[in-house]
Amino acid sequence: MRLSRALTILAVLCGMTVSAARADNIDLSTVPNRDTVQLTIYNSEDLTLVRETRKLSFKQGVNPLQFSWANTLIDPSSVQLRFLTDPDQLEVLDTTYPHDKPQMLYWNVQSELDGEATVEITYFTSGITWLADYVCVADRAEEQMSFEGFVRVANNSGEEYENAEIRLVVGTINLVEKIAQLAQVSMSEVAKLSEEARDTYRREVVTLAMDADDALGGGMGADRPKEIIKEGLSEYFIYTIEGTESIPNGWSKRLRSFEGQTVPFKIQYRYRPDEYGDQLVRMYLLANDEESKLGTTPLPDGIVRVFRDNGRDGLSYLTAQQIKYVPIGDKIELNLGPDPEVIFELVKKRCWRDHIWMQVFGTDTFRQVDDAQVVIEENSGVAGWDDHTQFVQRVRNYTAKPIELEVRRSYDGHVVFRSGLEPSQHDYRTVQYTATVPAGTTANLSYEVVVHQGRNAKQSNVTIEVDDAPAP
Amino acid sequence: MRMLAFTMFLVSCGLFLLPASASARIKLITLPVRERVEVQLDNPNATLVEEERIVPLVAGVNQVDFSWANTQIDPNTILFRVLGPGAPEGEGEPQVGAEAPAMQVEVLSVSYPPNEAALVWQVSASESGSARVRISYLLGNLTKSFNYRAVASNDETTLTLSQYMRLQNFANEEYGATGLWAGFGESFLKPIGINETKEMLAARYLNVPIRKTYSVNPAAYGYLDQPQNKLRVPMHYVLKNNAENQLGQTPLQFGKVRIFQEDGRGSTAFIGEDYGKFTPLDDEMPLFLGVAQDIVVRRTIDRNEARRVAGNLYHREVVVKYEIENFKAQAVTLDVAEILTHIRNEILGDTGREIEWELGPETTFEGGADAEKSTHDQVVFHVDLPARNDNGKAETFVHKLHVVIKNEW
Repeated sequence: MRLSRALTILAVLCGMTVSAARADNIDLSTVPNRDTVQLTIYNSEDLTLVRETRKLSFKQGVNPLQFSWANTLIDPSSVQLRFLTDPDQLEVLDTTYPHDKPQMLYWNVQSELDGEATVEITYFTSGITWLADYVCVADRAEEQMSFEGFVRVANNSGEEYENAEIRLVVGTINLVEKIAQLAQVSMSEVAKLSEEARDTYRREVVTLAMDADDALGGGMGADRPKEIIKEGLSEYFIYTIEGTESIPNGWSKRLRSFEGQTVPFKIQYRYRPDEYGDQLVRMYLLANDEESKLGTTPLPDGIVRVFRDNGRDGLSYLTAQQIKYVPIGDKIELNLGPDPEVIFELVKKRCWRDHIWMQVFGTDTFRQVDDAQVVIEENSGVAGWDDHTQFVQRVRNYTAKPIELEVRRSYDGHVVFRSGLEPSQHDYRTVQYTATVPAGTTANLSYEVVVHQGRNAKQSNVTIEVDDAPAP
Repeated sequence: MRMLAFTMFLVSCGLFLLPASASARIKLITLPVRERVEVQLDNPNATLVEEERIVPLVAGVNQVDFSWANTQIDPNTILFRVLGPGAPEGEGEPQVGAEAPAMQVEVLSVSYPPNEAALVWQVSASESGSARVRISYLLGNLTKSFNYRAVASNDETTLTLSQYMRLQNFANEEYGATGLWAGFGESFLKPIGINETKEMLAARYLNVPIRKTYSVNPAAYGYLDQPQNKLRVPMHYVLKNNAENQLGQTPLQFGKVRIFQEDGRGSTAFIGEDYGKFTPLDDEMPLFLGVAQDIVVRRTIDRNEARRVAGNLYHREVVVKYEIENFKAQAVTLDVAEILTHIRNEILGDTGREIEWELGPETTFEGGADAEKSTHDQVVFHVDLPARNDNGKAETFVHKLHVVIKNEW
């Protein structure tokens, strides 16, 4: 699809006004080429800031310019014109959005200059998006992995931007209206929608993107992967793809953004039902830091695909997992799912009740049942008791390596967790304990849970009691 | 009909070719063939295909097209890796990574055209020559499953267990000699045709000891005839997946087991089938054979007495009586299992509380409860039953289970 957007200089008879020119049925116009174009693409919203430059010849006096964007997804309220050369001799007198041509505007430019000037036109468009994804390949021993990051830019904007400098913004921005929505309505309707806040936010975003450092030059070596420069900007991170790219409308393109060849990682087996469901899962744990040979950039949201060398001159596919934005220094946790070589069973060994309290009906009198000194009135009902349950967490490790295990269990009510496993408290209702299970062995991890019921329940939390007694 | 296409456009040295230029009128295309294909079936939810091709490259930037019309390749999973210089099979092993020779090959980018199942790699080569590349991708509709054929000996003490892997190829792509690996055992080298189902013997285990069990468990198996209090008596073959039982090499995968028995005359008889559950090492795989008609177990609750502890708090004495007859010509062992919560619910209704209980002194089962199979909520006893008498009559054995259910209200 050929360029659908055009900047046209209406070369009309000197002295005629723009409105008069538009009324004429016979026009003469010139179409200056786009010299440079820069795309700043946000991944958190369907939003791209386009900044293009063109060289125009101005005559002294009023110069009408027409800018149109048929069949594209440009937000008409975002189009701005700036003069990069001779700004003191050029001034936009007015901007007109004709009611009968929704994807078009006119500028009247007052010029003291009689010659060439470079203008910059900026606008927002939707339909250009980028996504990150990652490919990890663990070695056979599962000690190191290669960790590659990619960015994939897709152009469905209706426009073909040739030789565009591409910048990708990592971070979440605030928009009060969707660009795609604004692109579908005429300027008059946009005006009805507009609010002061919208303009404020819009200008902030434009300013932010425009004020970023100027990007790299256009030249590049064609025989090596392009470098992607990562720079921090305010609360955002900007990836600038080296040189320029042409991504035709409808196409997408994937480039490598970084690579870590020997990234160390650890393996842990976790039971966290709130996070991973009711199963023991195997995790690859690493960090986005220098120690892990990463940490040059935050990792944007994206899918991580994990493979492993299967020791047979091939790969095993392990999992695909969506990760959220990972700041520099933060953890990367990859859930590989259950391991058929590690069997995780919870065995309930025994249940009993004690500390049973009776309430004499119709009174506030309570008697404890197992107090042999007290006669319990028959006219009474159970008002409080403690439920005891003894568990054994059995873990069978059929792998060739010892495994590190971490178990979290949450309880409702007033609970005592009694164990010699050196448990710790993850939160007020969740207990965590860890263990190492040697290769080819079975671990029997015993604990007792006491739930205070009825009038015995005074709290809603878990307390830990150390109990070194072996399991019954 | 081959649906996957791998083509390479030969492009002038150093020219950075845009995807749009694929519309050029005059093209020269080379079609590198597959040199090696491996299908990795070790992931339970996905099939990974890896294929190697030798790709001729010119110095500079090359465009390599890959398309997969009418197949279910997940394009986001496609990996392109350069293994080293191209050399046909048997003419030298490819070298990987840093050990690669002077020719350097790198993937510059991947472009995805609109509305096509295709992509275009831009690959740079430091000099002209061929490179061995490996393309890996997840492919849908190429699936595996397992099934078993078990042939029990005539005396039902051992069986031969054959495990088959069944590969179904509805992926709309055919592969020549392809390595197939299930994640354990040896791999197979087989061609895979379109819409083809291929079954391969993955493993055969000889002389696997089995235990034939007859069980009653009212909570799990119910009654055969409830008005007459007759319990259902299912029969199982039980295999244990460990080395002592000629297994234990790998977890047994889920799959249908067809069971045959040697008839003693050189042939076999089909005696039923069941789904074998996924069985980790050291676990048991029970295979249901049907309901035994010749072992009769009548179950009644003989006694139900409440003993007040205080107020509305009671202990309950419950005695369950079993009258057992074996009409078979062989002696058997019957497993009697009771879920104690089920007993409590029968007499009290479901109170929602964990059951607290202990065995009472009137329990008559010899040897006590099976410690390995009993839990906080289940007791299992074993009863040896002699064969029927010579006159065809079965002796009636009466056993009692005495349970004290404590602290209920």
